[in-house]
Amino acid sequence: MTATPRIVIVGGGPAGRAALAALPGAVRIARPEATAWHAEPGRLWVEGDGRVWAEPFDALLVCADEPLLLAALGCTVRDGRVVADPAGRTDVPGVSVAGRVAGAADPQDAERQAIVAARALAAGPADTDAPMIQPAGPPSAETSAGETWAAETWAALRLDPVALAALLEQPAGPERDRSALAQRAILGAVVPARPVSLAALAGLVAAMPEAVPPQADTGALA
Amino acid sequence: MTDPDILIVGGGLHGLSAALHLARAGRRVRVLEARAVGAQASGYSAGGVRTLGRHPAEVPLALEAIERWHDIADLVGDECGFRPVGQVRVAETEAELAQLAERVERLRAAGWTHEALADAETVRRLLPAVAPHVVGGIVARRDGFASPLRTTRAFGRAAMAAGATVIEGARVAAVDRRPGLWRLRTHDGETHAAPLLLNAAGAWGGRIARAAGEPIPLGFNAFQMLLTDALPPLLTPVVGAAGRPLSFKQSDSGHVMIGGGHKGQADLDTGAIRLDVPRLAYSARTALDLFPALRGARIVHAWAGIEAVTPDELPVIGRSAVADGLVHAFGFSGHGFALAPIVGAVVASLLLDGPEAHALAAFAPDRFTLGGPAPETRSALLQPAG
Repeated sequence: MTATPRIVIVGGGPAGRAALAALPGAVRIARPEATAWHAEPGRLWVEGDGRVWAEPFDALLVCADEPLLLAALGCTVRDGRVVADPAGRTDVPGVSVAGRVAGAADPQDAERQAIVAARALAAGPADTDAPMIQPAGPPSAETSAGETWAAETWAALRLDPVALAALLEQPAGPERDRSALAQRAILGAVVPARPVSLAALAGLVAAMPEAVPPQADTGALA
Repeated sequence: MTDPDILIVGGGLHGLSAALHLARAGRRVRVLEARAVGAQASGYSAGGVRTLGRHPAEVPLALEAIERWHDIADLVGDECGFRPVGQVRVAETEAELAQLAERVERLRAAGWTHEALADAETVRRLLPAVAPHVVGGIVARRDGFASPLRTTRAFGRAAMAAGATVIEGARVAAVDRRPGLWRLRTHDGETHAAPLLLNAAGAWGGRIARAAGEPIPLGFNAFQMLLTDALPPLLTPVVGAAGRPLSFKQSDSGHVMIGGGHKGQADLDTGAIRLDVPRLAYSARTALDLFPALRGARIVHAWAGIEAVTPDELPVIGRSAVADGLVHAFGFSGHGFALAPIVGAVVASLLLDGPEAHALAAFAPDRFTLGGPAPETRSALLQPAG
């Protein structure tokens, strides 16, 4: 017997509500009660009620305007919108989108997208083998050998961590997300998608984790 | 392009510092950087400028480096965000304090006075917000922190102003040794050749060494960092802990940086990283235990950078044991940022056959094949990353 896939929906708006109605067994994470602040393959990190927890998923349907959350999973984002097929499936297996983040023009469109995406998720196979966060290289025009580094290059556009923190603490919205996604294109990861309480995060573990040895490298130049 | 005298693999802080010193010595220098200047550890470090808690073998270099940091603008034309606010290592138990006291005594016996024991009252004067259970600590007052990315770029600009060439997107794919000449082929098919080669490739330094015929054991870590939102002034010095990995500082903008050694996962082939949230959480817990005033703070940014780590957590600095014209400077194991101003000068001297003004035996590239690191090269205190 095949286990029922665990589906998690993010979003409390019209799309999120429509998705939950179409997927009655799913878990829904919706602000302000619970905030999805980070995601990794198969696991959504949530803050709510003064604590932080991991919400495992086989399939994830993001109906909130959270491009950074989707970017953290490795989804392709263009012009602030997540790239998805007509059924809302992104290029990361098991991750789907609906609503404004998928380009919906209005709440009705968002609802329609959510229902389509929910039905596709219910019908489709679950797959959590998502890729790691992949850093982008410099734009191709900058990478040709023989070109010397000037002050105004791709690298100069990169914010240092403190400047990026100042950007990320701005209220979430299209302008902040656009700037953060530009950094993501350079750095490969911008985490977290939303700020998280330090105290709530600290409550996740009680004891110092066991030390892990350095990762080994026996690779060669290639 | 004119053929260089020296090729440097790695456009991080150590490679660029060496490039600066070599270019100022009148040599033609070409830096090959696989991605972009400061793309890995140099741009992701916590920026600690620290003599405190150093391994004894690193102390002389760290003490020379700190003098250069205090005049860093004279060296690179930029202040690099350096703040000489001091560093404090706090003890949470009497046993930890005794360990710190013993260390200070040992350093004094060796003639070093840069670390001073501080009782609980002194620590509280330096860190008014520290938790009441802290029983004391040690202090290095000339230490501080700087901005890693700004510093790396400043060294890059200064090196180029001195005549060095820095090529980004030049990932080395092959290393070939011909009589009197190192030939490096990059991924795009270009070939670069020079009589001298510096391996400053950070976490990829082991691969360059192997390709040059000199296996040197090297692993890597993705050291994780956290930044809070901008907070009112909470602390001035950089803080570490004697009993658990911690590097904790507040920037001019009020953002508090929490790091120190808890690791994520990295892929050396792709450069991809993955954060480990439970380990990030423990870093947050450590910070909260030591500074309860952080209870209302929010984490707004978390990241990790790939750092090379040697088996004894000491860097590899020295001439190749197997090939002429090759010098290594990599494997700084998460605490190389502060050393860059002096390491660049040291490796430049090695490449130019200058006198070995520093004791480098503990960093020798062949130390792992000659019976392993000597006992005195074992670290005395936790070495927080950054």
